[in-house]
Amino acid sequence: MWFYIKLAWRNVLRNKRRTLIAGIAIGIGLACLIFYDGLIIGMEEVAIRSATDTFLGEAQIHRQGYRNSREASLMINDPSGFLKDLSVHPAVKAASPRSLAMGMITSPANVNAVMLLGIDPAQEAAVSKIDDAIRQGDFFDGDSPRDIVIGSELADILEAGLGDRVVITVSAVGTGELSQEMFRVSGIYHFSIKEMDGGMAFIRLPVAQRLLGVGDGLQEIAIKFNELKFASQNDLSFWKTFSRDGNEAVSWEELLPQLKTIFEMTGAFRAILAFLLVIVVIFGIINTLFMSLYERLFEFGVLRAVGTRPRGVFKLMLAESGSLGLISAAIGVALALIIMWIVTQTGIDYRGIEFAGTTFQDLLYPVMKLYQFIIYPVGLMVFTLLVGLYPATVASRMSITDAIRRSL
Amino acid sequence: MKQKETIIVTEDLSKTYRDNGVEVPALRGVDLTVSAGEFTAVVGPSGSGKTTLLNLVSGLDNPSSGTVTLKGTAISEMSGKELSDFRRDHIGFIFQAYNLIPVLTVEENVEYIMMLQGVKKEERHRRVMDILRQVGLEEMVDRVPPKLSGGQQQRVAIARAMVSQPDLILADEPTANLDSETGANLLNMMRDLNRDTGMAFLFSTHDQMVMQKATRVITLRDGKITEDLKRD
Repeated sequence: MWFYIKLAWRNVLRNKRRTLIAGIAIGIGLACLIFYDGLIIGMEEVAIRSATDTFLGEAQIHRQGYRNSREASLMINDPSGFLKDLSVHPAVKAASPRSLAMGMITSPANVNAVMLLGIDPAQEAAVSKIDDAIRQGDFFDGDSPRDIVIGSELADILEAGLGDRVVITVSAVGTGELSQEMFRVSGIYHFSIKEMDGGMAFIRLPVAQRLLGVGDGLQEIAIKFNELKFASQNDLSFWKTFSRDGNEAVSWEELLPQLKTIFEMTGAFRAILAFLLVIVVIFGIINTLFMSLYERLFEFGVLRAVGTRPRGVFKLMLAESGSLGLISAAIGVALALIIMWIVTQTGIDYRGIEFAGTTFQDLLYPVMKLYQFIIYPVGLMVFTLLVGLYPATVASRMSITDAIRRSL
Repeated sequence: MKQKETIIVTEDLSKTYRDNGVEVPALRGVDLTVSAGEFTAVVGPSGSGKTTLLNLVSGLDNPSSGTVTLKGTAISEMSGKELSDFRRDHIGFIFQAYNLIPVLTVEENVEYIMMLQGVKKEERHRRVMDILRQVGLEEMVDRVPPKLSGGQQQRVAIARAMVSQPDLILADEPTANLDSETGANLLNMMRDLNRDTGMAFLFSTHDQMVMQKATRVITLRDGKITEDLKRD
């Protein structure tokens, strides 16, 4: 077999230009597949980060039933115990307690419905990116209980700027009585997300709890893990530990099911691209090998005439196919590395574009994984060998006299 | 002793081709016996059946009827694999257009058949150097065919055909692509090797020089042997 491999390599390198063109054509297909895979992973990561880091968190804890009803009265049982446990859990990087209720925000110019959030600024900054999104003012830098941070769109609706007064009206939990309090706009954020920029307002947690009359009650605790992948690990002890006492801990995958569905669909897109690559490989390999076969028909005839068994010719063609596959894989890997390196330097700017219910907040970078440079090239090699079976069979079964008709 | 051994026997050998539904007889009932040591030329006009005869004798093609027996073995009854092995061990080929493998060196081209036979590397090298010395190419072992002249390439082809010491060498117009001086030199060399080794040579040719050197001249016309001249 080694002789046939040696002979195959020499034959493949005999017509360097043709081999290079075929190798580049197939290699481009492989490079596209690797790059696309890296881009999809990068896009998924950015989408998840945009969704979770912006405000959602990588996981949330609620009282069971809260997610469906959004009833402010459905508060987490034993919130202080949960916060204490979360502060020492090895998988948890940060936990932000939140008190949430729907209300009205009123300025001298206008009135608007708003989701009021009571937060601990330091904890919230560790989980979400509200503090990074501040465009005017600051994110609760002082200690005034009258500070309120609103979105840019809401500020426009209310015609309110920094320092302006607004009034929050909510329905107190339990009694249902209206509860009002005046605040002064201390910060305006901008996320390019309509729902957040136009419909949310942040105040300090104790103030919100007092306004809602919930004591130290919390409707939500947002979690940031030490590693994002923990959010997808169903067997992580976290889920069991914090789904107790009538509470439930859920990951972003449950909170944003549409995002997960989209990611599953990208798997199908990847398969389609791989299929297209397979088509390119089929035609590339078959075309190249048959050109080579018919160009060297006499040689094959001579090889058979002098005693080479059909299996020998079969092995030779298969080895040529494998050699071409190896060259194509090397070209593809090199091209993929170059493209990936360039795009990882520049990034792709999709910031502000909505995707599956979330809005990209960061530059998009392709993610390089070792498997992309092992599985895909090896797959290409294997497939090349499979495709090579056809010309190899033709070569091994051809009539010797037809092959050397012009010779003997 | 080897010179008297019967190498090929054909009995009532016929071959008919089909061309666009029309049957074209290429060989009609040829009876032929070739013995070891013969230096036989098969002559005749184009289309007389020379190439068809060589193809059938070597087992490259199957007869429409009749038999070919090579050293007592009926080759028409062999499987493809058996035929490959039989050709490898008993028949050497010299083609008109040399047909060496251009990516292999002279040594690799010549040793190829021995490699198929499973001869060990050292033995292969020794025999390759011996035969290349005989054809005057011992200095060219590492060259590839495209770096050789036409005459040199044909000498490599002769070395390749003879190195495994087959019983029969089949040559199709071996001098057709060479100038007359080179052709004459090659012919003399083959005749010398034929005398030294006792291998039977069977040529198809139009070349008068080949006919003059041949110990036997078989004339084919319209697929039949019309003349069979033997001389010492």
